[in-house]
Amino acid sequence: MIEYNEAEKRMVLKLVYYGPALSGKTTNLLQLHELLTRQGRGDLMVLDTTGDRTIYFDLLPFFLTAPSGLKIKVKAYTVPGQVCHDATRKAVLQRADGIVFVADSQPCEAQSNFASFDNLEGNLSLVGLDIDALPLVIQFNKRDLPDAIPEQEIRNSWGPTGIPVVMASALRGDGVAETFGALTGLVYDRIDARFQLLSGHGLTRERFVQQLTSLREEGMEDEP
Amino acid sequence: MTAGDGLSYLVGEERNLRQLLLDSDVLPLLKGVLAAGASCARLVDQEGEELWGVTAPVGRGELLARFPILLEGEEVARLVVYGEEQHLERLRPCATLLRVALDTVLRNNLKRVLTTEIHTSVVNNSYEELMQINAELAQSEARYRELAGNLETRVKERGAELKRAQAHILQQEKMAAIGQLAAGVAHEINNPLGFITSNLHTLQKYVGRFCVMLQFYRDQLNLDQPLQAASAEADRKWRELKLQHVMADVGDLMSQSLSGAERVSRIVADLKGFSHVDEAGDAPVDLNQELERTLGVLSHALAGGARIVKDLQPLPPITCKGQLAGQIFLNLIQNALTHAGPAPLITLASCFDGERIRISIADNGKGVPAALRSQIFEPFFTTLPVGSGTGMGLAVVWEAVLRIGGTISVADAPGGGAEFIMTIPVGKE
Repeated sequence: MIEYNEAEKRMVLKLVYYGPALSGKTTNLLQLHELLTRQGRGDLMVLDTTGDRTIYFDLLPFFLTAPSGLKIKVKAYTVPGQVCHDATRKAVLQRADGIVFVADSQPCEAQSNFASFDNLEGNLSLVGLDIDALPLVIQFNKRDLPDAIPEQEIRNSWGPTGIPVVMASALRGDGVAETFGALTGLVYDRIDARFQLLSGHGLTRERFVQQLTSLREEGMEDEP
Repeated sequence: MTAGDGLSYLVGEERNLRQLLLDSDVLPLLKGVLAAGASCARLVDQEGEELWGVTAPVGRGELLARFPILLEGEEVARLVVYGEEQHLERLRPCATLLRVALDTVLRNNLKRVLTTEIHTSVVNNSYEELMQINAELAQSEARYRELAGNLETRVKERGAELKRAQAHILQQEKMAAIGQLAAGVAHEINNPLGFITSNLHTLQKYVGRFCVMLQFYRDQLNLDQPLQAASAEADRKWRELKLQHVMADVGDLMSQSLSGAERVSRIVADLKGFSHVDEAGDAPVDLNQELERTLGVLSHALAGGARIVKDLQPLPPITCKGQLAGQIFLNLIQNALTHAGPAPLITLASCFDGERIRISIADNGKGVPAALRSQIFEPFFTTLPVGSGTGMGLAVVWEAVLRIGGTISVADAPGGGAEFIMTIPVGKE
C-alpha cells in the first residue's frame, strides 16, 4: 500500500501489471482507460523515455469513495518486460497490493512466461513481498491468435496453483475488465479486515469492484 | 529498500500541488491574465485555501471563470478568475488558456517527478547492488589473500621440512658409507686374524709336544740309565713326536703371524687416520696422504683386480676437518669402481700450480653424458637401478668439497670414462 491516512480519509493502493515483454500489459491499461467510465479513473500516463532504458512504465489511476467518505485511489502500473529493465521492475513492485501477470498465449512464448514469472517471484521476495499472500491474477492474453495454447492445457497446468486465471484478448478488449475486477476483488479480500472496509467504511466487496470496473455507457460525456 | 542515506523514493507516492508546482511556474501565468485585463486570478485548494493568487490594485470584480485542476485525474484545486463583467468575452478565453497552461505545466512536472522518482529508485538499487557485489568481492579477495599468505608460509614450511629431510638423508648416506667401509675393513682384519688364530692353535699343539719331550729328558736323567740307551730312547721319542717337522714349521708360523698382526695394525692405523677420530676441529691435511689412506681402507674392494695408477705430486697442506677429504675420496673411488669397465682402471692424479690444488680421479667406464653432468651432484640422482644406489654419494662429495672451499666438476677422461676434477684454492698465509 502506498499510503493510508486515517485523518485525511485517504487510501492509495498500487496494482502492478507484470509479465514478459510484449505480452500486452500496456494494452490492458489502454483498454481499461477506454472501457471504464471517465468518473472512476484518471488519465493514462505513459512514460516511454526511449533514450533511457531504465525508465519505461505506464500509470493509470482509479478513484472511488466509500460510504464513510474514505477516498480510495488505485494506481495501476505496468512494468517493462525486457530483461534489462529489472531494476525498474523492482522499483515499481515496491509495496504493491496486487499483481496481474499478463502471460502470452503463443506456444513460442511459453519459455518467456516462465522466465518472467520466476523473475516476479524473485523480485517480490527482494522487495519483501510474499507471493503466496499477495493478490495475484494470471491473464493469458492474445487468445485471438490462432496458435494460442488451448485453454484446457493452461487450466490444467495453472489450476493446481489456485491462482485465478483469466483468458483475454486485450487488443479486442476481451477479458481486460474481468482481469482487473478479479484482482480488485482479491485486493479487497486482503485489506478488508485490516482497514475495516466493510465494518468501518461501509464498503462492500461488490461495490468496491463495481466502482473500479464500471463500464462506460454509450452517450456519456466525453473527455474535455 | 532504503538507500541508506535517507533518500528513499516509493514509486507512486502521492504529491500535492505545492510539491509539483513552483511559484515561478504559476505566478507568471496568473500575472499574464492580470495583464490581459483580469482583476484577480487565484489557485485555491479543496479546503478553500489560496495556493497562489494575484490581485490588481483596483479590486476583485466579478467571478468570471472557475475551473477544476486535476492531478492524476483527481480534482485537487480550483482556478478562479475575477474581472469586470464587461470584459467577460475577452477574459473567458484567457482564463481557459490559463487553465490549459497550468494543466500542461502540472502534467509535465508530474511526469518529471515520476521519472526522477523511478530513476532515483533504480539508481539507488543499482548502487546498493553494486555495493553488495563490491563487499562480496572484497570478502573473496580477503579470502584469497589469506589463502595466498598461508600458501607462502606453507611452502616455506614444506621447504624447511624438505631441507631437514635432505640433510637427514645426507647424514644417513655418510653413515651408510661408514657402515660399508666398516664391513670391508672388518673383512680385511678378519683375514689375518683368522690365520693368526689358526697359527696360534698349531703353535699351542707344538708347544705341548716340546713339553712332552722335555719331560721325557728329565725322566731319563732320573733313571740313571747308560747314556747310550737313553740316547736311543730319546731319538725314538723325538721321531714319535715328529719334532723334526715341528721345528721346521714353527719359524714359518711365527713369521706369518707376525706379518698378519702387522697388517692388522696397519689397517687400524689407516682407519684411524682416515676417520681422524683424534682430531676435534680443523687441522692441516695432506690430501695425498688422505688419498693413500682411503686406498688403504678400500684395499678389500680393490683386491678384486682393480688397477690403480697414481701420479701424485707433492701438495701443500690445506686446513679443514680431517674427515672431509676421506669422505670425498671414498665416495669418488667407490663411484669409480662401480662405474668402471670389466677391467677396472682408476687413475689418481694430484698437482699444485702455486694457487690451486687439482686432484682428479678417473675411471675407464662409459663416462657421464653431457646432459646429465649438471644433475649428478644433486641428491637422489642416480643412474643405477632402483634399490642399487641412493643417489646420495656424489651429493655427499659436493657438500664436502664446498665445505673445504673447493669446486668439483666432471669431464671426459682422456681414454674414455669419467674424470672427476676437484679444484681447491690454497690461500697464501
